[in-house]
Amino acid sequence: MIYQRNMEDDKFYELVELYRNPEHYGKPSKYNYSENGYSPSCGDKFSIYLEVEDGIVKDASFDGKGCVISTVSLSKLCSFLIGKPLKEIENMQLKDIEDMLGIGDISISRVKCATVGLDAIKKINKEVSNN
Amino acid sequence: MNDMDIEKIRKDFPILSKKINGNPLIYLDNAATSQRPSIVIDGIKYFYENINANPIRSIHSLAEEATKAYNEAREKVAKFINADPEEIVFVRNATEAINLVSFSFPFKSGDRISTTYMEHHSNLLPWLRLKEKGINVDIVSISDDYELDMDYYKHLPKNTRLVAVTHASNVTGTINDAKEITRISHEQGSLVLIDAAQSIPHMPFDVKDIDADFIAFSGHKMLAPFGIGVLYIKKDIAENLKPFLTGGEMIKDVSLSKVIYENAPNLFEAGTQNVEGAYGLGLAIDYLNEIGMRNIEKYENELTKYLYERAKELKNVEVYSGKSKRFSGIFSFNVSGLHSHDTAYLLDKKGIAVRSGFHCAQPLIEERLKLDGAARASLYFYNTKGEIDAFINELNDISEKYGRR
Repeated sequence: MIYQRNMEDDKFYELVELYRNPEHYGKPSKYNYSENGYSPSCGDKFSIYLEVEDGIVKDASFDGKGCVISTVSLSKLCSFLIGKPLKEIENMQLKDIEDMLGIGDISISRVKCATVGLDAIKKINKEVSNN
Repeated sequence: MNDMDIEKIRKDFPILSKKINGNPLIYLDNAATSQRPSIVIDGIKYFYENINANPIRSIHSLAEEATKAYNEAREKVAKFINADPEEIVFVRNATEAINLVSFSFPFKSGDRISTTYMEHHSNLLPWLRLKEKGINVDIVSISDDYELDMDYYKHLPKNTRLVAVTHASNVTGTINDAKEITRISHEQGSLVLIDAAQSIPHMPFDVKDIDADFIAFSGHKMLAPFGIGVLYIKKDIAENLKPFLTGGEMIKDVSLSKVIYENAPNLFEAGTQNVEGAYGLGLAIDYLNEIGMRNIEKYENELTKYLYERAKELKNVEVYSGKSKRFSGIFSFNVSGLHSHDTAYLLDKKGIAVRSGFHCAQPLIEERLKLDGAARASLYFYNTKGEIDAFINELNDISEKYGRR
């Protein structure tokens, strides 16, 4: 009901390891966009920081607290975006996050956890586009 | 019934034989909602096949039957908590009951209300919202043993009109001394509202003994259908309240220039009600009475004791409940270094259903306990020691594998 039913323990263990030492964690000294993300059922609360120059993501990081799914998906999203046009976020969906995590079929109760970063970065993208 | 035959009782709950992820369901999320026995499930079908009509107003035979069923349900609820039927208002749930009081009570600017750190959002947000109207809201603190600060109640701030407090916490399990809080608040001229959503399903409850002015509880936590709950309003208090919702069936006489309202409880039941739900709640009460609330309380106390005894074996598990003098069958915990949702996911893989997150008590979890969530196992009378063993064994495995040392 939460993650994919047949997700192996090992896969989960791997995610827990990433969760404990996530890449791109921490508030940077330099950033020009930030946005908050919440997933109330989990109690996830994150801030995302982006340094965007000419539409390209120069740096991406996040801080806050959440579960394995939200934390690892944010971390992987940051890795993915760095060096790419921010616009790429526009067409990204839950499926892309599932692919990043290496798990499919995230259940209804955890969708918010998986997309907490995606939604926040999409908001930043809108803000950047409007400017 | 003198002794509880748990195996026989479990057969009354069809869902308890369900498998989850290939394992027998071990349902430990009873503080969120209880499961329903066949007598309630079948009763709803019976209602629609034999009794259904709009009660109270229509005078044909079927409507008479529906009215009778609705009134009987009210009488059953009243008897169950030792109230009079006219003191029982049907609402959707405890949340709606408390909101009703927050709207209908004639608060004025400068009045004070007290609620506590231990509350579910349902007994917190309706009061916080009143701040907009110039009403002050005090939040009573809790000790490290999860006890309310009783000194606060001994010296209520001036202008305290209402003391709102939970009878049993859905996180720490603390059972508060509702009777004593009511007694000393009354002495100081304040009315008292008790959120009994986590207590009435689990123990005998006597409104005349506790003497509170308002009592809120939900049917779905005590075997009844979703969408039916109760607000008890003490006689003589009701006439000082304004209507909550207005519309059908809550009036005596209407012209465009003047409306004469009904008396309680009908005054507070505008529109066609959840008659099926009330009927189902009546059946749930029949079932609980058959087993006996004293038996239920005794058995759940035994189970709770057993759970906490076995929990002593756990390593890398932090516990946030069960420290108070009295507590219910609630066990709130975290595996060190693991988010509660992830713990719940791992338990679910073995068919064990627990709640995780903030439990609609965010100020308690986040500000007071300094957590970003907690997992919670909560018991009801159909749980067994075998289920507790399975839960503790599984939790042990999870904490050994994932818990931080």
